[in-house]
Parts: sequence; structure tokens; C-alpha cells
Amino acid sequence: MIVQNSSLWIVFHKMRMPFIVIILTYTISITGLLIIEGVDSNGNPYHMSIFDAFYFITYTATTIGFGETPYEFTYAQRLWVSFCVYLTVIGWFYGVGALISLLQNKMFLHEISRVRFKRQVKAIRKKYIILLGYNYITSEIIKRLLDADIRAVVIEKDEERVNSLILESYTPTVPVLLDNVHSPKSLEAAGISRLNCKAVVSLFNNDALNLRIGIVSKLLNKNITLAVKATHPKSVNNLNDINAEIIVNPFVTIANELKMAIQSPHLLKLEKWLYQIDTLDAHMPKLPIGRYIVCGFGRMGQSIYRTLKDEKEVDLFFIERNKKKLDGLSERELQNFIVADADDKEVLEQAGVKEAVAIVAFTNNDTVNISILATARKLNSSILTLAREDEMDDVSIFSNAQMNYLFMPSKIIINKITNALINPLADQFARCIMEKDEAWAMHLVKDLLQKIDNAPLLYEMTINEQEAPEVINFLEKSELMLSIFQVSLHNRHQHNNVIPLLLLRSDDTIVLPHWNMPIRQDDKILFACDAYAQNDIEYIAQNPYEFYYALTGEEKTIFKQRLFK
Amino acid sequence: MNLDKVISGFFIILAMTINFGFFYGDIDSLETHSKYELFAAIIINLIATTLKLGDKTQMGSVLLATSLVADIQLIAAAIIWGVAAYAYTIDREIASIIISLSGGALLANITSVALYVGETIKSKR
Repeated sequence: MIVQNSSLWIVFHKMRMPFIVIILTYTISITGLLIIEGVDSNGNPYHMSIFDAFYFITYTATTIGFGETPYEFTYAQRLWVSFCVYLTVIGWFYGVGALISLLQNKMFLHEISRVRFKRQVKAIRKKYIILLGYNYITSEIIKRLLDADIRAVVIEKDEERVNSLILESYTPTVPVLLDNVHSPKSLEAAGISRLNCKAVVSLFNNDALNLRIGIVSKLLNKNITLAVKATHPKSVNNLNDINAEIIVNPFVTIANELKMAIQSPHLLKLEKWLYQIDTLDAHMPKLPIGRYIVCGFGRMGQSIYRTLKDEKEVDLFFIERNKKKLDGLSERELQNFIVADADDKEVLEQAGVKEAVAIVAFTNNDTVNISILATARKLNSSILTLAREDEMDDVSIFSNAQMNYLFMPSKIIINKITNALINPLADQFARCIMEKDEAWAMHLVKDLLQKIDNAPLLYEMTINEQEAPEVINFLEKSELMLSIFQVSLHNRHQHNNVIPLLLLRSDDTIVLPHWNMPIRQDDKILFACDAYAQNDIEYIAQNPYEFYYALTGEEKTIFKQRLFK
Repeated sequence: MNLDKVISGFFIILAMTINFGFFYGDIDSLETHSKYELFAAIIINLIATTLKLGDKTQMGSVLLATSLVADIQLIAAAIIWGVAAYAYTIDREIASIIISLSGGALLANITSVALYVGETIKSKR
């Protein structure tokens, strides 16, 4: 059993030697006085008593002088006392010095801050999420979580980042622990096993570290939701094996967005609306069909290759500086690759820049990306320019470069993670519609624009005792259709502006469920609606009078109730 | 050889043995109980207590508790002796109180050594 508060024990442990030194200096001083022979007022020899010696050393050690007691000292005694003065003073100086340096000791301060962190975490009553590491991405996630009334807790091993988080002064306070992020001890301190701790977010660039954190987290609490970044297919598989719920690969996401922009622009529009990036009437031109020159064959370029290589609308051509990255490609595949620097004019011409419809600068160097696109535009002024921006500086060097499209892995991670944590049904819906085609997406966008508006709200509801008590009560004796939530409480014969997008059951997932579908307990339903409709839906689900009116069209009164009884 | 263990074991057992040395003798007379031995017992017990600080295991806490008990009893005995010697007279009653307190301290020290030996036997190295 480990003592909970370690600070006190650290003080004791560190102060052992100083205490020993002080005890020994006193012992030596007192013993010397006992041994040395003195002379009393009658000239007779005597030995000082223990108490007299203790008394004398007590005020001598504290550098207070009360004179020689009980009799005037002989020179032998005075010699010894001179030695004792320095001995005991040095002992005390050492003891006090050790105590002062201890209070400034980092280990001690670290323990103090850990105790404070634990207290802060214990005081959180609402749902909260543990974020590992603090940077631009996690700070944006924190802001969105706090906006959604979800608390955040951070573990960060770099002291400067911890200080910058504290200076941010989030409201409500975000507890932060300066410690190793992958240590079970620090995750326990952050309360990973508590009921109201809902998720762990680990977005480091090191896939192995993310996987390790995932494994430790699932071992400590197998019900915890994991939100992890992974950039290699093998890492994604490993994370799936440990049941990580949210795996974000920004490069696969960008490649998929590129594919949607070419084949199904309305699908991309839906996704951006779901992630609250854009409205449904945002301008979304279709990317052209033809040759695409892709510069860079790292994790980004490889994702694009895997995603688009079999699509007939796109003729991919790659430029990569590092020949080793092309290992594993067949001879036939290599015909679409050049090993060279992509910002070279002749290389671009060799890649067919004059006939290409688009050039994609996706290396991990922002400056190189800009240089590539500037050169390409000189050679072909009508070419479409797509770029990746890695750094999230306040002033973007891309803003003056006039890109047609700018892809930001950081922003994608922020949007994916926050949406999955705050709106899990919307995230599920976004994944379900990936296989739909352009016609389907266009139809849904039109429906949403006509029935609601250009920025419909997303409302997630679970049919349980907490969120829909009236529905639960009614389901005990009869069947109920989804259409109950369509009713306008202003006039039962009219419908609110609402479209059901997803109905999630333990054994089924239904995209765009029909209003006539019967609902069951524990169904999770995602609606797109306006604020008025959301209000009505909540009333119908929770208020007995409103529910009765929606069901029957009649007012439910207490008087009528009593009359029937 | 673990030097820390040697030092702490040395002082813990020495505290008990010196305590016994002072306690042994007539219960109602201070003639057979040396004041210098009580002085030494107090010093050694204080050192033994200090060496037990900072060990936050369960066993360490119990050892510290027993050591504090011994310290209190020995210091109380010394205080009573000093007060009686310089402000009153030492009679058989005072003598028996002083010796009894040191007996109590001895029991605490015996408990401490028993726990210490028990832990040593239990350990694997």
C-alpha cells in the first residue's frame, strides 16, 4: 500500500542526513562537556551534569550567549566550547540549508503539482477527455470541447508547453500534468478509470508511441474511447486490433477528399457540412478529369496513389526526390514516376506539365510546395494548383500564393477528432456515406437546402430513460413510429423542418431512415433540423403533455385525467 | 552488501540494547541505572528514528511509529529525572517512574526490532 500524499515523505527522506548531523553534533558537544574536568568555586574538580551540558549547548548552538554555567570554565573547557560553537552552528546551517533547497527541489515541486492535478481531476463532475501532448492541434480540440461543455485534462512532458497551456487560461480550468504521456501512472493520475472520463486523445507524429498509449489505455479501462492518429497502414491495423474507436490518418483523409472532389463533389460538400467546415451552399467546383502531377511520394503521396490509381478519371504522374521511396513498385508502375526535384523546370516539362490539368504539391516542406506550384503556373497558366500546408502559423505564406485548393492535415485532424468526440453519430454518418455516389449526394444536399436551410443543425438523440422518457413509457405498451418527431407542436397537422439522417441500432445501421420506421429502446437517431424543430423534438421526447399532443392531436389536461379515473 | 541496511539495522538494534542496558536493575532505585546510559539511549533512539523517516511503505510507517513511542518515553524519563533532581528530591516513587518509562520504551524497541527482523526474514535477498 502506497501512501497517497508523497510530498511529506519526500521531506522526511531528504531531511534524514541533516537530522542525523544535528543529533550527532549535539551528542559530541554534550559528551565533551561531560568528560572534561572543571573546577568549582571552591577550587575542587567536578564534572558537568548531563542537563547542565545540554542546557549550555542549547543556547550556544543557537549562538545565544548566557555565560559560563554553573561555574566559570577552565581553559580546557573553553577550548572545547570554542570547537562546539563552530560544530553545532555548521550542523544547523547544513540542516536549514538542506530544507530550503528541498523546498525549491524540482522533485518536490513536481510532487506538489501532481497532488494539485489529482485534486483538480477529482473535482470534475462532468464528462471529460484526456488529451496527451499540448500543441496547436490539441489546443484547438480543447477549445471545441469546452464549447460543447465537455471538460479536458492534459498530460504533457515538455515544461514550456505546460506553461503555455497555463498561460492560455482556459475557462473552465484545464488541469495539466507534467509527466510522461505513456506512463500508466500518469494516466491513472488523470483518472482514466473514472466513470466520467470518456476518451483518450493521442495525436503524436510517432505512430509507435500512439499505439503504445492506445494499448496502455485499453488495459487500464477497456471501455475508454480511443482517438488516435496513425499514418501507416500497419499502424492502423494494429490500432483496429485493440479496438481503437477513432483512428485519424490525415493523409488517407486528404486522398479521399481529393477523390470525392473529382468524382462526387456533393459528397465532399456533405462531409464539410458534417464537420462544420462549410455550409451546404458553399462553392464547390468539380475538379477536372485528366493528368494530375503529384509531387512527393511520402505518406501523403502514397495515400493518393493507393486511393486514385485505379480511377479512370485521373491519370496520375509522380515526382519524388528519394528513390528509396519507390521500392516495391512494379516496372509498369514505375513508368508514371520520375526521380528528381519537382521544382525544376525541365523535370516538370518531362512530367507533362503543359498538358496536365492539375498539379499537387504535397511534400512536407511548405517552401518547396510553393516553389513547385509557382514554376508549374509559369509553364501552364491554366493549371489547377493544389497544395498541402503543414505549419499553422498565424500568417500563412500560402495566402499570397493564390492556391486553388489548400489541404491542411492539422485542420483535418482537429475537425475529425472533435466531431467524433462531440458528435459521434455525425461521424458515423460521415463514414456511412463514403460509398454513396454523386447523384445520391446531390439529392440529399438539395433536400437539406429545401427543407431546412444552408446550415442545418445536427441533433443526436438516444431513446433511453434519460433523453426520451415519454417515448420509453409509451414503447412499453405500444409501437411508435419515427414520424412522432416530425410533428410540429405549433400545429400537429404540419411538419417541422427536419430530416432523419441515421438510425443506429445494436444490430443495424440505417442511413436516411423512413419516417414510418418503428423505433426501439436504445436506438440512436441523428437528425438534421433547424433550432425550432430541435426544440420540438426535445419537448416531444421529454414532456408528457407535448408528447400526448404530438401523438393524438388533443390537449392533455389534469381535469380530463381525473374524470377518466 | 547493502550499506543502508547495515547502518539502519545497526542503529535500530543498538537502540534496543542500550535501552535494555539502562532499564536493567532495581525498579525502585536509580543507583543501578546510569544517567549516562539514559543519555546515550536517547541519542541512539533519535538517530534510529531519523533513519526511518522517508520510508513510505506500510512497514516503514509502523517502524517509525514504534520508534517515536520509544523516543517519547525516554525523553519523558529524562525530563522527569531533570526536574526532580534540580527542583525536588529524588525518592523511590520518582525513581520507579523513570525506570518504568524506560521499560515502556524498551517494549517499543523490542517491537521495532521484531518487525525489522520479520521483514528481513521475509525478504528474498
